[in-house]
Amino acid sequence: MARSWNPHAMQPHGPARTRTAPPQVPDRFWSAPRMRRYLLFDATGLVYLLIGFVILRAVWALGDGGEAWARVLRDYRNPLYLLFHAVTLLSVIYVGVRFFGLFPKAQPPRIGPVKPPPRPVLHALLYAAWGVVTLGLLLVLGGVIA
Amino acid sequence: MSELPKKTFVITRFDPDKDQVPKTQTYEIECRPDWKVLDAINFIKDEVDPTLSHRWSCRMAVCGSCGMNVNGEPKLTCKTSLAEYGDVVEIEPLANFPIVRDLVVDFESFMEKFRSVKPWIIRAKEKAPEEGTCSQSPEELEAFRHFSMCINCMLCYAACPVVANAPEFLGPAAIALGHRYNLDSRDEGAAERNEIFRGEGTIFECSYANECSEVCPKNVDPAAAINQAKLLAVLDWAKGLVLPRKGGS
Repeated sequence: MARSWNPHAMQPHGPARTRTAPPQVPDRFWSAPRMRRYLLFDATGLVYLLIGFVILRAVWALGDGGEAWARVLRDYRNPLYLLFHAVTLLSVIYVGVRFFGLFPKAQPPRIGPVKPPPRPVLHALLYAAWGVVTLGLLLVLGGVIA
Repeated sequence: MSELPKKTFVITRFDPDKDQVPKTQTYEIECRPDWKVLDAINFIKDEVDPTLSHRWSCRMAVCGSCGMNVNGEPKLTCKTSLAEYGDVVEIEPLANFPIVRDLVVDFESFMEKFRSVKPWIIRAKEKAPEEGTCSQSPEELEAFRHFSMCINCMLCYAACPVVANAPEFLGPAAIALGHRYNLDSRDEGAAERNEIFRGEGTIFECSYANECSEVCPKNVDPAAAINQAKLLAVLDWAKGLVLPRKGGS
């Protein structure tokens, strides 16, 4: 005999829910090369925190007179400081390159009536601006521009 | 006839009636060289262990049902060739979702997030039929077309480090969908959605890891959508400071 038709067969179940296991957090995310690059990007935050303290110390020394400032400059010749500044420079370049790569696609197709330039152009403009600002700073620091 | 190469599959198992925590079970099977990962799982289900539970449907990367973590990376298993992997393949349910059974996860939380971004066209006033259709130029369509290609496979949620840390984060697919409607020339609900986007646990939680876009099998690029939405939501907020809202107080 055929089973009788159940008019409630397709209705959702009551409030009882199946017990579930808690979500599994990815435990091997660091093994993917692109995730390591992201973690490296995140780790540069620590470098900026430290360089912040270095800058604070320099500003503090400026207020303490010529002798304190000369001591700061002397310390900057220490190989550890030189290494730290090199790491900071690399961090800034790395973050800049990553940002320049991701920035173009973060632009909406239009903002009101204004359309952003094509992505390759935007990408090139960022590098051009970076180059101009870096050159300007080098000229100021080199004493060419007063 | 030459023997087919064998692969070992380490598959997560979880029975809510018996297990307290998920465990793994190992299967060694002969695999044809043209198999996708889903073919191997289906073979195990059909020929080796019928108690294994997994979701799948279309087998052509359209339905978005068969997302799983394969060797730790979220993959659409019907689109992922087994040849990409070595002798041992670890298959787990999608990360960051509660596990219902074996490889089946609970999407309930996503469905709530999905609804919260109002993924439909909002019109201030519906057009009367005699006024004609809401036509759209190819250029207007192109503005959002690729964001509408999402198949809700949830790979982006499994890959997102922000979702892993903060499960309440609205997440890539839902934000991309909301942004898709904000870019639609027929829609007039951007202000409502931007209000949602400016709330807690939404677009500004995103740290632009870009993982969602890396794993997306349909090249939707949710990371782009989220970061475009950030700019538009801020501009909308700034506009609201100087201009009166339409129909608002």
